[in-house]
Amino acid sequence: MSYAKGDETLAKDLVQEVFIKVWEHLESFREASSISTWIYRIAVNTCLIALRSQRKMQKTTQVDSLHIPSKDEDINEKEDQLWQLHQCINKLPEGSKTIILLELEGLPQKEIAAITGISHEAIRVRIHRIKNNLTKCMKHDSI
Amino acid sequence: MTAFDDIKKQWESQAYPKTPENGSEKVLAKVSAIKKKQQITNVILSATALILIAFFFYISAYKVSRAMLGLFLMIGALGFRIVLEVMSIQRLKQLDRTLDAKNFKQQLISYYNRRVWVHGLATPLILAAYCVGFIILLPLFKENLSEGLYTYVWVSSIVLLLVFSIFIGIQIKREFHVLKKMKSETMEEDKNL
Repeated sequence: MSYAKGDETLAKDLVQEVFIKVWEHLESFREASSISTWIYRIAVNTCLIALRSQRKMQKTTQVDSLHIPSKDEDINEKEDQLWQLHQCINKLPEGSKTIILLELEGLPQKEIAAITGISHEAIRVRIHRIKNNLTKCMKHDSI
Repeated sequence: MTAFDDIKKQWESQAYPKTPENGSEKVLAKVSAIKKKQQITNVILSATALILIAFFFYISAYKVSRAMLGLFLMIGALGFRIVLEVMSIQRLKQLDRTLDAKNFKQQLISYYNRRVWVHGLATPLILAAYCVGFIILLPLFKENLSEGLYTYVWVSSIVLLLVFSIFIGIQIKREFHVLKKMKSETMEEDKNL
């Protein structure tokens, strides 16, 4: 959902496309990596390709359309923080966004490295930096 | 507990959409629909090409040089453009999505670089060939059409050409923007490593 910047329809389309691509490429899976790493790669690349072609549309739908209650609604503090978190994630550069979303999903850093194609050591440093940026953003609302 | 642990807790607390019960059936249905669509497209394209070739010989068009040259340039330009687009769409579909994101991005950049070649060289040549073909046909139109219809033909052609040029221009601008953005992101990421 974060990749689609809150656009639920786009998110559902992306999920469906990922499953189709997994189905189509299943024969090429050679167990060089775990099946989850392999599926995550397809998911990340599918989002990358789909969002490139829809970049213009996103500029208008970005944070405003997140499927989280807007500030005008009667929302509690928890929802407000979640709204802010999505905003902060969307302010990150594309590559950093991919890494932190995988980290937030609880994937081991070794697996994130295999998905992104960045060395394990570099991922460790990148995650540390992104975490700092995100924490700063959540506190001051700027990266 | 660090501040990021709080962030992670917030992330984990959000509601996830429910998994549809018949999701796999929907995916399978979509896969077969896509395959069917591809087959239909291939049949239509092949049939069109065959009909055009058959028509060419049927009317012995190769004997009427002026009309043929004009038509050949116009239809050929359109046909070539369509073939280029179809090839491009196929290439985009065939990109290896099982690669890691870094290598996939490189693949995507090379795809867009090729598009730059298409837009920078092929598109202007195609447009030029189309216009030359039309200009070659103009005297024939003047001979065989009424003055009003002749004026309508050349005025509407200029309007159509302008509309298509603007449309293609917007598409080119968008793809250049994507390529530029991707290259700058890759450079930024390389710097951060």
